[in-house]
Amino acid sequence: MRKELPMFITAVSGLVVVFSRYFQLGEQWNLTTTLDRWSLVSAAFAIGLGLGNLTRIHYRNVKRRREHWPFSLYLIIVMWAYMILGLYQDVEGTHFRWIYDAVLMQLSATIYGIIAFYISSAAYRAFKIRTREAAVMMIAAVIVMFGVAPIGDAIWANWGKVSDWIMNYLNVAGRRGILLGAYLGSFAVAMRIILGLERAHLGGIGTGTTIQ
Amino acid sequence: MILVEGRVFQLVWLIFFLGAVYVMIRRARAGLPIPEIRKIPGLEAIDEAIGRATEMGRPVHYSPGIGSISNPQTIASYAVLSYVARRCAEYDTRLIQTNRQITVHAVNQEIIKQAYLEAGRPDAYNPDDVRFLSTWQFGYTSGVLGIFQRERPAANILFGAFWAEAMILAETGHHVGAIQIGATANTAQIPFFVAGCDYALIGEEMYAASAYLSKEPVLSGTVVGQDIAKMVTFAFIILGFILEQVQGENNWLRVLFSK
Repeated sequence: MRKELPMFITAVSGLVVVFSRYFQLGEQWNLTTTLDRWSLVSAAFAIGLGLGNLTRIHYRNVKRRREHWPFSLYLIIVMWAYMILGLYQDVEGTHFRWIYDAVLMQLSATIYGIIAFYISSAAYRAFKIRTREAAVMMIAAVIVMFGVAPIGDAIWANWGKVSDWIMNYLNVAGRRGILLGAYLGSFAVAMRIILGLERAHLGGIGTGTTIQ
Repeated sequence: MILVEGRVFQLVWLIFFLGAVYVMIRRARAGLPIPEIRKIPGLEAIDEAIGRATEMGRPVHYSPGIGSISNPQTIASYAVLSYVARRCAEYDTRLIQTNRQITVHAVNQEIIKQAYLEAGRPDAYNPDDVRFLSTWQFGYTSGVLGIFQRERPAANILFGAFWAEAMILAETGHHVGAIQIGATANTAQIPFFVAGCDYALIGEEMYAASAYLSKEPVLSGTVVGQDIAKMVTFAFIILGFILEQVQGENNWLRVLFSK
């Protein structure tokens, strides 16, 4: 029953979505919006779970004086203090908003900014010409780089055109091919779940036999 | 009209897709031959990665991406997580699993617990190693970076929906010396995994993971059905291209698709 009930609910929800999308009656009943609302409510409850999980793990770190335990203590204090402040002031409150804009947003930008350095080191490894594919990638990358960098135009005026052609035709064609396969793949996964063939989300991979 | 206008052909296509999958499942169940799934190096490498972590006495890190619970990529990652958790339980290797979405975290906790139970090692399951880090994208990323630096996993499996954090996670994993398997269907991030990881699964390969890992003919049947649909789709694309050149924009195929 522990597995059958979720499988039944999944199958019914899947069929409701299909019914709502393709049949006029389903569209009028607006069942998918109701399902979406239920999903939002469940997710809201789950935030409490997350808070509990973080608190439990870091409380243990502090209690057992594990390595770096002061950071765990700091996390617990900041997390709960910020939550209490939000409940007291609401999300548009002056201090609550200031902390969000002055601390969280800046940290976010900092982490995002380090991507540039990581791209450089990954590109250095990826562009070492060891195979034919790597050579093609290297040549395409050089053309695209010259196409967007100002120095490219100074060397040859048509770099931009070649670069645009690579991006708009070769790149888009490849990308859409991958997307097409991915959409069909995701569709197959959805079908496997609706039909109860795939049960990984309930524990175990497939129809119940041993993993090879 | 019973059906929604403009979606009739979509429904026909859905029925065709269902039919192709159904036929293949029936064939598989009847023991009739169906085409095999080709070797996917990224999935083959999972055992190698866990084995390496076991030999080195270091943990395995698994991320299901930062997509929500309803994201197909997150759903596809459950099967791989279940497999990885069971292998880790069998080899007595520590598995650190990090989450950005709390609903995904709750499901993953159950999956890992069940995998340890099925492997006969419920005692080895440590709930503290299944971690919810932050709902904030870069908060989650920083959390994973911290875990990489402190715990230095020997294997890093990134399997799911990733966005800007893909490159950061893959590169940091490389710097701590982890063998890395990256899989995502987000096309903008695939190049980052190709560049940063030892093995990369591209697009639909990740959706075939459950069938591939379980080696169950019924699940493989669904993948074969999917491939048939893909071939028909490509045939339509070629036909559409020809018709656009010959008949122009109002060709019969476009009219049929808009029904």
